[in-house]
Amino acid sequence: MNTDSEPVIRAENLTKGYGSFLALRGIDLEVRRGEVFGFLGPNGAGKTTAIRCMLDLIRPGGGLLRVLGRDPQLEPVAVRERCGYLPGELRLDENAPVNLVLSFFQQLRGGSARCRKRANELSERLGLKLDSKIKNLSKGNKQKVGIVAAFMHTPELLLLDEPTSGLDPLVQQTVLNLVSEARRGGATVFFSSHVLAEVQSIADRVAIIRNGKIVEVGTTSELSAKGMVRVRVVLADMAEVTAGEFDALTGVSLTKSEKSGHVFELKVEGGMDALVKMLAKYPVESLETRRPGLEELFHSHYGKRAEKGNRGDM
Amino acid sequence: MASFWTVFKFSLLRSRWTVLGWGIPLLLIGLITAPFYDLVAENELQLRPIIRGLNPFIKSFIGGEAAEDLLTPAGYIALRYFAFIPVILGLFGAVAGSGMLAADEERGVLDFVLAHPAGRAAVFWGRLAAMGIGLVIIIGLGWFGLWCGVLRADSLNFPPGQLALPYCSVFAVSALFVTLALALSMMMPSRVAAAMTTGIIVLAGFIITSLAKAIPGLETLARFSPMTYFQTNAMHGLNTEPLFGLLATAAVFSVFAWFGFRNRDIRVAGDGGWKFPFSPWR
Repeated sequence: MNTDSEPVIRAENLTKGYGSFLALRGIDLEVRRGEVFGFLGPNGAGKTTAIRCMLDLIRPGGGLLRVLGRDPQLEPVAVRERCGYLPGELRLDENAPVNLVLSFFQQLRGGSARCRKRANELSERLGLKLDSKIKNLSKGNKQKVGIVAAFMHTPELLLLDEPTSGLDPLVQQTVLNLVSEARRGGATVFFSSHVLAEVQSIADRVAIIRNGKIVEVGTTSELSAKGMVRVRVVLADMAEVTAGEFDALTGVSLTKSEKSGHVFELKVEGGMDALVKMLAKYPVESLETRRPGLEELFHSHYGKRAEKGNRGDM
Repeated sequence: MASFWTVFKFSLLRSRWTVLGWGIPLLLIGLITAPFYDLVAENELQLRPIIRGLNPFIKSFIGGEAAEDLLTPAGYIALRYFAFIPVILGLFGAVAGSGMLAADEERGVLDFVLAHPAGRAAVFWGRLAAMGIGLVIIIGLGWFGLWCGVLRADSLNFPPGQLALPYCSVFAVSALFVTLALALSMMMPSRVAAAMTTGIIVLAGFIITSLAKAIPGLETLARFSPMTYFQTNAMHGLNTEPLFGLLATAAVFSVFAWFGFRNRDIRVAGDGGWKFPFSPWR
């Protein structure tokens, strides 16, 4: 049995391969009780593979994985009893009506009156027509069935795999509201997405996965602060600075300069000291600095990969 | 155990149209075939020399040396009806067995079901039990149709219990094809491949078993065909040895399929590949 101090999800050097392709290359992860944990990465980065390992739908090749203190491979049912799962591409029995599908999932969860009541509340809130056949539902409405199934038993852990993909903004907002409510109710949420703004708005901590490896973990503000700083410098007219002077500074690169030769946009990695000392020699009209958002950080990781890939192709 | 019954109940409910879709035609075949014996009985004298003069290869498909039994009431039911029912239900087995898990797996439905607290054992055995009951209902409808047909025929007089005996053998051979298709679907890259392979085995088995009556060299090969152990003449008494042999083989295929399902990754759409339940390099 797990205690409150124990992580809800713990992965150590978790690997998973499909033939010669390694989808997870040794993931280390700790998700704490009661937090919303964002799992960021583009398609094919390994997000779904990690979640499917947590539910014992697929078996890891190596490493350690504990969900709610249990090994999903040894006690899959015990893990799933306490989890709610919502995939982005939800597939259901097309010929069954919604109420039959939900009744099936309720009965798999023990068929308690509380679960039925909550399912009815959620269906009403989402405006889900219970007598419609699944095949007659739009993608958004199908996803609502999944939302009800994932939330109806008030799970301790929610595993949401790109839950808002393809949904209209209203349903997206409903999902995010339900996530916030679940967190307030004490649930832990593992939220995989490639929609950065969404993760930034909802997650306490974020991990970025790239090529099956976790490349960054931290709170959203920590991660935003971690990367480079964007600087915009406007010098007085009489100042004569060449682009080479900026490039000569360690960790500073010029990204844009205006024709007037007095306005420069820079990317600064490491510290600002060298730049400030250099600028002190000139009359500075204004200096603006901006920390990049999660999105920029995310792209910086994938940018590096793309550059690496391009070099590899040569 | 609770999730086993839930899976069983919902699988049975879900397969109701499939069961009726196969059961009602079977009922109609029995209902239509049996009364035709009156015509055969009326024209027995003309038909006997025709059957006697048939080419041995053609004769092999209507009982071979025993082809003249077609003119007797029990022989007619055995050769005109029961000789073909295992082929029909064998093809049902190929489609239904291969689709029992693999169809939902390929559509991505199984992922969401297994994300709920239902163990793989409950899903596998619950669905297989529902499939077994579905097969019993199909066969039951077939038996009912044949019994009604016998009641309509003036020259046939069999009690319903006697008519039910060959259906025990029909069940055994169909169960074997269901479980063979299921086992193959757990191993092969796609459901279609498993269904096609089983379908080929059904048809090839039928042809080889029939031709073995005319071509002595095929007897050895026919020993490996499940159709050889089907008892068309079970109305005279059911031989339990081949019956239990077929059922035991079906049980072995079920266990093989279970290990395949228990040990492997659940596929998502488009994710194919050979999967061996006891693969040493897993």
